[in-house]
Formats: sequence, C-alpha cells, structure tokens
Amino acid sequence: MLVAVTPIWLAPVSLAPAAVLIVAMASIGRRTAPVKAWRTARTATLFVVVMSVGLAAARVVAGAEANDVVRVDSLTAVMLVLVSFVGWVVVRFSGTYLDGDPYEARYARRMLATLASVSVVVVANDVVLLIAAWTATSLALHGLLVHFRDRPVAVAVAHKKFLLARCADVCMIGGAVAFWSTFDTLRIDEIGRAAQAPGSFPLGAQIGIVFVAFAAVLKSAQLPFHGWLIQVMEAPTPVSALLHAGVVNLGGFVLLRFAPVVDHAAPTRALLVVVGVSTAVLASLVMTTRVSVKVALAWSTCAQMGFMLGQCGLGLWEMALVHLVAHSLYKAHAFLTAGTTVRRTQTRRLAPSSGSLHLRDVAIGAGAAMMATAAIGLVRQALPGTAELSSTVWVMLGVVALAVAPLIEPVGRRRVTPSTLGALVVPVAYLALHDTASRIVPHGTVAPAGLLIVTAVGFAGLFVVQSSYRLRPESPALRRLRPWIYSGMFLDDAFTRLAFAKSTPPPAHARTGLLPQQHSIAVMPARSSISRFEATSSFHSPRSDAR
Amino acid sequence: MTSLALAEPDGRPSAPPELIAAIASSCDRIAPTWPLDQFIAVNPYWGWRSSPIETAAGRLAVLAGTPLTMPRSWFREEWRAGRLSVRHLTSIAIEIGDERLAERALAVLGAAPAAPPPPAQRMALITDLRDQGAGPIRGQTWTDLVVHQISQHCASHFDEWQASWVPDRSAGLLATWRVDPSVTHGFSWTQGSAWATSRLQSLPVAAVDAIATILDDLAVEQAGREAYLTALLASVNGWAAWCAYRRWQARLIAADDDVIVELLAIRLAWEWLLAADLPDEVNERDRTSQWASSWTLVDDIADEIVDEHHVDWLLQTAIERTFQNSIAKGLPLATSTSTAGAPDVQAAFCIDVRSEVYRRALEATSDAVQTRGFAGFFGLPIDYRPTGTALTRPQLPGLLAPALHVTDSVGADDVKARVDQLHDHQRWEEFRHDPSSVFSFVESMGLLHGVALAHDSLRRRRPPAGRVNRGGRRDPGGRPRLGLIQDDPAAAAALGHRILTAIGLRGGFAPLVMLCGHGSTSANNPHAAGLDCGACGGQTGEINARVLAALVNAPAVRQQISELGIDIPDTTWFIAALHDTTTDDVELFDTDLVPPAHRTRVARLASSLALAGQRARTERAARLWSTSLADDTVALRRSVVERASDWSQVRPEWGLAGNAAFVVAPRSRTRHIDLHGRSFLHDYDWRLDADLSVLTLIMTAPMVVTNWINLQYYASTVDNQRYGSGNKVLHNVVGGHIGVFEGNGGDLRIGLAEQSLHDGITLQHPPLRLSVFIEAPPAGIEAIIAEHAVVRDLVANHWLHLLRIEPDTAEVERWSVNGWGAA
Repeated sequence: MLVAVTPIWLAPVSLAPAAVLIVAMASIGRRTAPVKAWRTARTATLFVVVMSVGLAAARVVAGAEANDVVRVDSLTAVMLVLVSFVGWVVVRFSGTYLDGDPYEARYARRMLATLASVSVVVVANDVVLLIAAWTATSLALHGLLVHFRDRPVAVAVAHKKFLLARCADVCMIGGAVAFWSTFDTLRIDEIGRAAQAPGSFPLGAQIGIVFVAFAAVLKSAQLPFHGWLIQVMEAPTPVSALLHAGVVNLGGFVLLRFAPVVDHAAPTRALLVVVGVSTAVLASLVMTTRVSVKVALAWSTCAQMGFMLGQCGLGLWEMALVHLVAHSLYKAHAFLTAGTTVRRTQTRRLAPSSGSLHLRDVAIGAGAAMMATAAIGLVRQALPGTAELSSTVWVMLGVVALAVAPLIEPVGRRRVTPSTLGALVVPVAYLALHDTASRIVPHGTVAPAGLLIVTAVGFAGLFVVQSSYRLRPESPALRRLRPWIYSGMFLDDAFTRLAFAKSTPPPAHARTGLLPQQHSIAVMPARSSISRFEATSSFHSPRSDAR
Repeated sequence: MTSLALAEPDGRPSAPPELIAAIASSCDRIAPTWPLDQFIAVNPYWGWRSSPIETAAGRLAVLAGTPLTMPRSWFREEWRAGRLSVRHLTSIAIEIGDERLAERALAVLGAAPAAPPPPAQRMALITDLRDQGAGPIRGQTWTDLVVHQISQHCASHFDEWQASWVPDRSAGLLATWRVDPSVTHGFSWTQGSAWATSRLQSLPVAAVDAIATILDDLAVEQAGREAYLTALLASVNGWAAWCAYRRWQARLIAADDDVIVELLAIRLAWEWLLAADLPDEVNERDRTSQWASSWTLVDDIADEIVDEHHVDWLLQTAIERTFQNSIAKGLPLATSTSTAGAPDVQAAFCIDVRSEVYRRALEATSDAVQTRGFAGFFGLPIDYRPTGTALTRPQLPGLLAPALHVTDSVGADDVKARVDQLHDHQRWEEFRHDPSSVFSFVESMGLLHGVALAHDSLRRRRPPAGRVNRGGRRDPGGRPRLGLIQDDPAAAAALGHRILTAIGLRGGFAPLVMLCGHGSTSANNPHAAGLDCGACGGQTGEINARVLAALVNAPAVRQQISELGIDIPDTTWFIAALHDTTTDDVELFDTDLVPPAHRTRVARLASSLALAGQRARTERAARLWSTSLADDTVALRRSVVERASDWSQVRPEWGLAGNAAFVVAPRSRTRHIDLHGRSFLHDYDWRLDADLSVLTLIMTAPMVVTNWINLQYYASTVDNQRYGSGNKVLHNVVGGHIGVFEGNGGDLRIGLAEQSLHDGITLQHPPLRLSVFIEAPPAGIEAIIAEHAVVRDLVANHWLHLLRIEPDTAEVERWSVNGWGAA
C-alpha cells in the first residue's frame, strides 16, 4: 500500500486542467477565426492530457493524495486521464468535422467549457463545489446540444434534458442539506468516514444518499427518464461522443465518491439495483430492435449506465469503475466511427449463412460457458495471495458466462473458431480487471441476497428473451411483444407529455444552413378565388366559411 | 404484397380503374434512391420528365412546396460576378417572344436585396390543417409526428442489418402498420386508443381498397385524386423513393413490387384518422368538403405559379447560356493537331468530370499519350461476387440488369479460409451486439477502444485494404474472373467487339492500351460509394477494367475479334488501371502478366501517371484548401492522402460538384482547352458511325446517366431539405445501408449532403442544367430524338440543353423544338 503524502502543490495542480481549459475558452472570442479557435482548443486539450497523466504518475509513484476542497486519489487520477483523453480526441475530431459550420468558434468555446466543468467535477471533494461543477457541465453541454438551434427537435430535447438536470440539481442540494444537518460537514471524504463509523446509520444519511442516488439516476438517463439521451442525435456526432463518454457517466462517478455511504444504505442500494437492472435489461432489448446506428448506440448507453448503477448498488465498486472507463472509451469510439456502419454492414453481408440455430446449440453453449467460466473463477480463487471472490462477483461471473455462451454454440458449419477462444479470454480479462481495479476502489460490503437474486433473475431473463428471438422470432408472444419494445414501452412519450404540459419547450430559431432554405407554407385555396392562394378557411372553424 | 389486380377473388367490388390509374401515376412521380453501398446518382425529377420543366416546377410547388430554381438573390450574385450575361438574357427573351420578360428580369437583378420574399404556398393536407390547432405534444407538430411514425415503421420493415431482433414482416408493410401500437398508443387520441384501433381494423386489407375507401370517406373528387395522392407521397418522399427503388429493381428482372402503394395507403390512413379525430363534433363531411374540393383546383393554381416564375427560368437559362458560350468560344477550329505520330499509349477513362482534370494532366506529360472517354463500366453488363462470400454486387449502371457474373480466381483452400474468417467475424460481431453480451463485452474489451481512439486520431495513412469494391478486410485477393472468356470465346469476342466499337477503338491501336476505371478513398464516410464510379453501380471500376483487359488480351478471344473485323495487333497489350479520384494516384493491375516486350513501356507509363497525378493534385488543391500547398508536391500528396484517410473529414474530395457540361466529340476537339473539371467527356467520331448505333447508345445511356448525376446535384442544391440529405455531422445510418436520417429521425434522407456542395464560404456546385455538346451532323441527332421517347422528353422539356458542334467549322448550334438555332 502506498504511503499517502500530501504535497502542498497538489490541490492547485489538480484544478489546473480546468484553469487551462477556461483560459483557452476565454481566448476564443465570437469573431475568432475557426482555424485559430481550433488550434487553441487542440493545444489546450493536449496540454491537459499531459498534466493529467503527470498527476496520475505523481499519484502512482509518490502516492500523492489530497483531501481538501478538492480530492486527489486514484479515482481522481483515473477520471482526469479519461476525461482529458476523450476531450482531446473529441476536440481534434470536431476541428475537421465541423469545418464550414457558421458557428465553429462558439462550438469550440462550449466544448472547452464542458470539459473544464467535468474536470472540476472529478476532483471536487466539497459537495457545493461538486454541485456547482456538475450544474455547469449540464449548462455548457446544453449549449452544444442546441448547436443547431433551428432544429425544433434539438431544442425540445435539450429542454427535456434541462428540466431533468434541474431536478437532479435539486436532489443534490437536498442531499447536501441532509448530510450537512447530519454530519456537520460537506466534505465527501468526511461524510464517508462518518457514515462508516460504528453504530447505527443515521436517518439523515439515509435521506441524503437517496437524494444523491436519485440525482445519479436522473443524470444517467435511467428509465423512464431516458428519452433525452436517445433523442440528442440532433447534435453533431462528436457532441454525442463527448456526452456518452464523458458526461452521462458522471452519475456513476458521484456514486463512487459516496461509496462508503451507499454501502450502509440498504434502501439506496435497492433503488440502484432495481432501477439499474431493469433499465439494463429493457434498454438492451430495445437496442436490438432499433433501426438507426446512433439511436441503437444511445439505447446501449442507457443500458450500460443501468448496469453500472446496478453494480454500485451491489457494492461492486471496482467493476463499476472498470465499466465507467471501458464504456467511455468504447462508446466514444463507436460514435465517432458511426460513419463506418455502411462498410461494416457490407463486411457482414459477405458472410454466407452458417446454418440455423437450434435450442440444443443454445443449451450446449450456455452449459459449456458456465462450466468454463466457473473453472476460471475457481482457478483464480486458488491463486495464492489473492482476495477471495465475493458472492456478488460469482453472480456477475454468471452474467459473463451467459454473455460468452453464443461464442461456444456449435452452430452449423461454424464449430470452433478463433472467436470461441473469446469465451475463455473474456472471463480471464474480467477477473484480471476486477483485481486491478480493486486496488483503486475497494469492494463494498456484501450485497443483500435479495438484490443478488434480482440481478440474477434479470440477466437470466434477458438471456432467455434473447435466445427466444434468435430461435423463433415468429412466435406469437414475441410478435406481440416486439412493437412495444421497439417503441420503448412508450415510457418517454408519457414522460414528455407530462413534462411539456408543465413547461413548454422554447420555439426553434429560424431555419439556417449553407444552402438556400426556401420555405413553403401549407394553405387551402378557396374555390371562388384561385387567383390568389388564400388561407381563408381555418380547419377548426369551418362553419363560418362553409355556410 | 398487395396486388393491383382489378377483380378481388372474393367478389367484393374492386377499386375503379380511374383510381388505379391515379395511384399508378402518383407512384410513377417518385424517383428511386439506391442504398448507401451502391449510392448512384438519381435525377429526383425523373418521374416528371414528360412535362416541361417549368410545368413540373409549378406542380411540384403546389403539391410539395419544393422550388426548382435558386432564390433570386443568387441570380443577382451570379450577375455581379459576371456569370450571367445580360446580352444572353435579352436574346433568350427575344427567342421566346417576350421582351418585357427581359425587363422584369433586369429589374430583379438590379433590385437591392429587399426583405425575404413571401414563402411559397402549397396545398394543405389534413395533417397541415390539424397543425393550425394544437399539436400532439407541445413542441411537436402533427406533420412531424406522422412523418416520424411512418419513417420508423418503414425503417423497421425494410431493415435487414441493424436490428438483431427482427419483426415479423410476412404480412406486409400496411398490415403490420395497422396493428402498430405507436399509431394507436403512441400519443393521446381524443377519442381514445380503442377508437383508433377499431377504426384501423375497419379498413379494407388491400392497399388499393383502403385508398378507395378513404378517398370516398374524405370525399376527394376524382379530378383531384391524383394530385392529392402525389402530394401525400411527396410528404414522405424519402421512403417513397426507397419503395420506388424496390419497384425499380423488381422491374429490372421483369417482376413488380407494389409496396409503394402500401406506403401511400398508410400516409392516407393517417389523414383519415386525423380528419375523424377532431375535438368538436361537427359533421365530418361538412368539415372536409371544402378542403376536398380544393384538390380539383391544383392545375389552375400550378399554371399561375408557372406564370409567376417565367422570370426565374429566364435568369436560370441565361446563366446556363453564359456558361455554354464560354465553352463554345474555346473550341478550336481544327481537330487534328496531334495525330502526327502514332500514340505510344492509348488510355480510356470514365466520362466522369473528375477524369477531365487527370486526362489533361496526363496528356500534358507527353504528346504520345492519347486519352479517350467512355462510361467507366466499359460496357460490361456484370455483377461481382468476391471470394467465398454471399454478396453479389452489380457493377453496371442502375438503368441496366447484370447479365454476366464475375468471381475471383482463387484456390479452394483460400475460399474455405475466407468463409471461416467471415463466420468468425460474424460471431464476434454478434457477441459485441447481443443484449446479454454487451455488458461483459464492454467490461472485458472496452479499454482496448482507448487504443483505437488514439490510433484513429493520429492515423496518417489508412491501410490500403478494405476498399469498398473488394471483399472487405482480409480479402485473399485473386484475379477477377469472367467464366465466359474460357467457356465461350466466341461470345466473349462478340462482347469485346461490341465494346471496342462503342469505345471507338477499331483500329490504330497503340502498343499499350490502358483501361482506367476510377474509385475514391474516404474514411468513416457513409456516402463513400457516392464518390465511386456511378457507371459501376457505385463501386470502383477496378473489376470492370481488369475483366475487359483480360478479355481482349486472351489470345483465343482476340483471334475471334479479328474475325469480326477489329484487328488488334499482337504487339498491343491492354492493361487495367484504377484512378483514385481523391488522391489522384493511378494504380496499374496485373502487371505480372505484362509480356516482357511491354515492360519498359509500362514502367514509362507508370512514371507519366505519377507526374500527371502531381499536376492533377495541384489543380484540385485550390478547391480543397484555402492556403496554397501547390508548391511542394511531396507535402501536397501527403496532405491529400491524409485527407482521404482522416476519420473526421467531411469533404474528402469534391466529387462531381460543379458538373455542367457533357461533350460528345473526339478528344482532339477539347484536348487543348481547360474544362475545369466541370465536363463529362465521351469520345465519338461520327464518321465511324454510319448507322448511328454508337450515337444512339450515347444519347440513350451515358446522356441519361449524366442527366441523373447533374440533376441530383442540382436538386440537392436548390432544395436540400427535400432532395438533399442535410448536414453530414448529423447523419445517422438507417438499416445498416438503406440511407441516413438527419439526426434523430424524420424521413429517410436522399441525395447529397450540404458539405458535398458547399465549403462553408462558397457554393461549390452552381446549379446549372447539363449542356450536352454533340459533334455530329444534325440529321442523326434529330433522328435519335424522334425515335427515343426518353431522349425527346429530356431535350424537349428542357431537363437538359442539347447543342451541336459542326464538325468542320466548330460552330455551335442549339437544338429546340423549332429546329437548330445559332448559339
């Protein structure tokens, strides 16, 4: 274990990335030439990557640590490196991608503002600072989501997200008040220590952490608050990449910060597991029915965030961190390369049919995967010098086994292929990452059996539905179910109706674009006067005209 | 699939024949759109070609609200920039006998940019009328809702490659829509979802019957029905175009596909539901009767709009004539300046406008190089199936059906290895995307994408593998093989003879003949195929060039070709090549087969090609970069290659932007003039075409294809909302390859993106109708126009301009219905 040292420079340095990004942003004006704006943004983000890596190195090599208004620990280091790297990639991408857009400089400013806010979120130790930075992230991102403010859907969806984000802010403030009145402190590390103190867990802390968890649920686009995440394809692709890789996962990060509190709060754990697992199961099914690549990716994010929150509820903090980081990198890449879909489809279309799938194949696949994964788990268990695997990890290994099962299925002509090897590689990689991440964030307290059962049933059910539609998509039950899954159970439609009845989205700006926008309006000509197309008759008051 | 059969089997009354005719003609208005992996250009006005363009514009304005000309401010800018000559404007006005029109046009040009003109008006659908009241959800209109719902339903129905949990489609598009809960439960019907469900159940099952029932219910009179149905299809133009594509493909193989009628029925059923679900209880017929009768006025209104827009068409024609004049003036009098020595190399390129730049550059390297223009599929009616795969791709224009099949010549072991690879790849892809695998996939493999992100960000040069035209990654390669060459040399010789005749290579062969197809390189680009060879069905021309070279190099075939009358000397060798239009590199194929006697010549050709590439890149650079890179050829090539492999690049090259002319003449006529990459070039020597067979082919095939390309660019520019695909940074691929949504959803988008037409500062494609210059005596051209309805439609209805170059004097004449007139 590292010996913690707290150099005096550490706290200011941890805020330096945000400072650099803000300075860069400020140096880009409304009239700055795009080329210059992007050069500034690229330089700043690259500099921030270097600083973050340096800070991480200081943490790893010297065990540097700070617990003040800001907090520098391994989690901070991981998050800073992640966010700065994604930021650098996305800024580089945007500089070329947005070429010719009339508002490039504005876009660059907003992107830098978003990144600066996120890099404050990941170092914040004071709840007030955290709330402020998280809100700033949401507001800066809002500017990017309405980059095309002439698109009514973009404006309406951003409004929907705005409403939810403000609800999340209120929840966070509620949580802060509860913690303050209970523990007399707003430092997250102190709250965590106080919550772990022996004796009963105070009601104030229970309330506070439920608030925080609810904020995380709202910000992580969990059902039924997921609609905005699915619909923000109305912003340029790199904005989606940034949102899915660096912003939507902050809910999970905040829970990681509050891990010691969550571990002791049974209601919060139940909330996270139930919401997370049901979102993971439903949203991943919706994903398989979607028809456009970006929308499918968005449903996938929704599901992945559910999975991560579920892991938080189960106390599987190390895997929640792995999931957060791995998903960010995966999803950023998936969005930025969404344009390769056509070529990837072409490659898939080349494959000749490999024969039809039978129930026996699925059963053999699942059985073999279970045995192989269990064997790998037992070997890992037997390794000297490693911690015992908890029951939670064993349940999650079951999920891994179901995941790799299709790789082993002996379908038609494709028996053992190199991919079959994946069935062994994946569980090994899983356990290796688990053990590595455990050094950064420790495993939480053992999850209640009920939550493990919910998780196991959820993912077993998912496997059953998946196998059913692969085996017999034409079965009447699936045929009836599918349209409802395709439309996301109309959860978002109901939510939107409710939300917009209370708060109408602002109107979109007039249409703009590089090419001429020649509008037309729909009118109904009167028979008497064709000389002019006159919109005399309103459809809603026909009697006055018709008689 | 619904049939348009007149009599129903169970004896129910069938739809009246007038209605069936109205449905058929409204569906015929919709031009097809090809999927993204075969993204060839289509003239979106194809269904209107039998009307004069001005009349069609009037109808389209009333029914769809789409303009066919640019805003008047654009004409003013062109006039100020000297690209619209007042002299031509006046002379056109005199020709059409309306000199006052010229005065009006001049007034338009002179007027200061005033307030924006009042928006055009189009006929209201019931959906539009409902939009005057409250929307389904605040912030959303009924129009958006209806289009979105239909679009999502169509996407799900036609998708084969995105969703893994596929819907049951066997009942057909309309039948599955009738029970789609997103219609009945997706929002609140005033009368409840049970009402909507039962109302939909009461509709007749067959699309045509449903349409008949609804039109009767809405009381739309017979005289207005075709117009109404046309307007409805135009409101879901993207998916209508996809349905039209399916019909087009079916008709190529003498079948049919009526799914477009089902789409029409769905769009109409929405109108019917919205008309009946009004909050107040007024009699339905009363409400709709006035609206319904308005559809009989469409023709009168359209005629008025035509009258109002004469000025715009005068201005448009004046710009086009100014452009034509600039070409006509540049044509040299004499055409035989460089035939002194026999050429060392003859190189046949595609007629594509991008070839013009490269050909000019190649010819400048040596007088011994002669180039020719011909459609880049080289007349081969083939499709191609890469080794061990299930996918067959057409390699010919979309107007034709393939007749011959090309595969790769590789060993059986390679095929098995390839099949295993493909299966393995597929299995891993499923693991990446299956719902119960995605979580574990991300946890165990997600971190590796960090490496991928860094790699793609910093990548300077994309590996050459993975060309769209080839089998994709890990293709074992091999030579494309046309069985006909070995199996039936006589048939192959007949094909070769026909092609050589059409190219105009009937004698005087150079020792080396290069057949050069073209393709493009771009990364992360859903519309990549749109930059490839349209004549090869949106693929690169590699396969066609290599197959034709193999065919005419085969001794047995060559022998029989000479028996048919074309004597290819033994000293002549055909070599296949591919011009990369993004990087201006030319790759030579099958150089290992070149006989020793030709090796030095091939090496010399290769160095000429490299030099020509430099010149062509320098010329194109001015359009790609604001700063000058032209001085340093090495740096320029690196920049071009980087641009082609940049995953964030939305303008890898300019494609065919700027195209405006099609010159059908011997190359000697244009060899020494700079056509600025705006002209298609087809070689044609009228003296060798006594029976007009070659000219007939040119005017019925390449001329139609160039019209499709030209009007795709034109329509995407004048109305990008309807005929273009909007902003590339919002593109969202649908169904793996069907097309794109712009953003979240909405209609399927067809045509070109804004980025392909505009660089952010200037319009890179001024929308000019194609000016076709043909060097031939008038009688032959007239005969072909008289004989072929398609040609007549395009020419007489002004969808393109036809001009004639007099062979002896290089005088240019203009064709019109009244005869030839001086240009």
